[in-house]
Amino acid sequence: MKERNFLIKHSVKIEPNKVSLDGIDVLLSERYNTFLSDIYHEKRLAYPKFFKMDILCKVGFLATEILLEAENIERFVPRRDRSIIFCNKSSSVSTDLKFTHDILDLDNFYPKPSLFVYTLPNIVTGEIAIRNKYFGETNLFVMNDRDDNVISELVEHALMDEEINSVVGGWIDAESENDYEADLCIFEIKQ
Amino acid sequence: MELIEELKLKMIEALNLEDLKPEDIDNDAPLFGDEGIGLDSIDVLELIVLMERNYGIKISDSKTGKHIFSSVRTMADFVAENRTK
Amino acid sequence: MRVVKVSDSIISPLGFSVEENFDSLLRGGSALRKYNRLWGLPFEFMASIFDEEELNNYFIENIDITKLPHSNCTKFEKIALLSAFKAISSANIDPKSHRILFILSSTKGNIELLSTSNFDPNRVLLGNTAQMIARYFGNTNKPIVVSNACISGLCAQIEAMRFLKSGSYDFCVVIGADVLSPFIVSGFNSLKALSTEPCKPFSINRNGLNLGEAAATIIYSTVDDGKNNWEIVCGATRNDANHISGPSRTGDGSLSALNYVLQYSGCKIADIAFANVHGTATPYNDEMESIALERAGLSDLPINSLKGFYGHTLGAAGVLEVILSMCSLDKGKILPTHGFDSLGVSGNINVISTLQETNKHSFLKLLSGFGGCNSSAIFTKLRKL
Repeated sequence: MKERNFLIKHSVKIEPNKVSLDGIDVLLSERYNTFLSDIYHEKRLAYPKFFKMDILCKVGFLATEILLEAENIERFVPRRDRSIIFCNKSSSVSTDLKFTHDILDLDNFYPKPSLFVYTLPNIVTGEIAIRNKYFGETNLFVMNDRDDNVISELVEHALMDEEINSVVGGWIDAESENDYEADLCIFEIKQ
Repeated sequence: MELIEELKLKMIEALNLEDLKPEDIDNDAPLFGDEGIGLDSIDVLELIVLMERNYGIKISDSKTGKHIFSSVRTMADFVAENRTK
Repeated sequence: MRVVKVSDSIISPLGFSVEENFDSLLRGGSALRKYNRLWGLPFEFMASIFDEEELNNYFIENIDITKLPHSNCTKFEKIALLSAFKAISSANIDPKSHRILFILSSTKGNIELLSTSNFDPNRVLLGNTAQMIARYFGNTNKPIVVSNACISGLCAQIEAMRFLKSGSYDFCVVIGADVLSPFIVSGFNSLKALSTEPCKPFSINRNGLNLGEAAATIIYSTVDDGKNNWEIVCGATRNDANHISGPSRTGDGSLSALNYVLQYSGCKIADIAFANVHGTATPYNDEMESIALERAGLSDLPINSLKGFYGHTLGAAGVLEVILSMCSLDKGKILPTHGFDSLGVSGNINVISTLQETNKHSFLKLLSGFGGCNSSAIFTKLRKL
């Protein structure tokens, strides 16, 4: 594998029944339908905006909460040197389907603005930037198949930015409410 | 059901205020800003949809909306006066 | 190492070539029309939409449909393919080369397929469209899609610059495209962001944006054969960490992106002819941009927005607007802001309302979008051809 100009500090993975941190399972559950809110309550997150988020944002929010907690440095301090770079396959398809359903009945036409906003796949990067006060680059790339070499290359690109020293990035996808995956890392530039 | 209670239930549903119960929302507390339940600009738009869908009230812009939605009581007063369904 | 433009193309309701489009702007022609109950939608809106028959004829004339995986292309696929085809045809490159990467910029791609009855779910995937386009030209590299809301088109060009500077590829084909559908129009309408009249960027009585359809392509390369005259010098993307659907009141994200390109491009403000900005004509966007521009020290710099000609073309906007800005400086001109009347923003800025002359060689691009993202880049003309 090509040598990269970054180090991986921590990694987190969320699947519909499992959370692992740095390769070690930290949470297992059979309660598929409520798994994400179970994590929210378990972590006592007190962030009511969580309940307004769509599935992609919920997964991204929880994954980064666990990841950034592991970093063990003071949180919510504004940072201009950190970017959020996510890659994905399904864009925001789960919310897209809901909004499509919302506009079918033209005689009873009340599309939900709060739903439409989440039909942009990059909103998850915005939610995480807001939560953590990250002012660096936020970007979302879509590709047909996950390719870790491409993800690494895109992370390296973000680190070409003169003001950016670290990236929260990786793969995040939600095909439906019960079928999602986040596999994210904190990448730091090699000094 | 009293209009105020009805509005609180509808708001909780429409705005996904999952962690709130009707009794957590004070009738006179501001809905926006840091006090009260801290609603934002998308919530205003969502409340405009709620008013049209449930009570047949059309509100054309968020500026008028902000005044009507300053508390649950101002909302209820406005609905009582202007509802067409 | 310079990253230069090799070729470009525009497919829009104003024309199917860059020249047609630019001439139309010089004549003050706008593609915006009023639509009432279009697609049965229970409201009126103003938009720039393709004439389907004209588009279909042009498509059949130029694209070999036997080389496509589906016999029935969507409008989105048609304009993206056509735009890529025209840019590739006018560049001296072999699109099959493994040294060429295709990058697609789009917000919603084939989203309209979701409301059809027996759609192939794979075809809605943005990655699938990108792959279809690359395969049409015989390119087997895995294409990448940038879907970063309204700033996608500029982010895609910045990403192309990075791919080329890092030496991974010799050419990047950057295609920006989006079409309108009940989905997109209803969504913006639910946000009360649409105007029923032609939009009025930065004006006192502006009351919302118009949406538009377009596809535009730029091919960038590090191989400069002396025949290319535009360089993408520097670009940056910044979040304002404020709100997912409302820009920061202080213009922080746009300001950081502007400050970055002003600092690292090596360009002096005095050498920049103009800034082509987002200027969607929503109250909040234009206000935010004006504050960011003033805070970046750009109060005297001529500013224009092209939304009055095309509406907001979403994922195409960044590519379309950069091509037209290049074209205008090639002719020594600064395009006016169509629809602008009297300044109605609190930032002190110099919005251009009539066609102006210039002898400067660089311009600034600025965009912002949902999710709090903002992007800016500087482009410089290397030589006169």
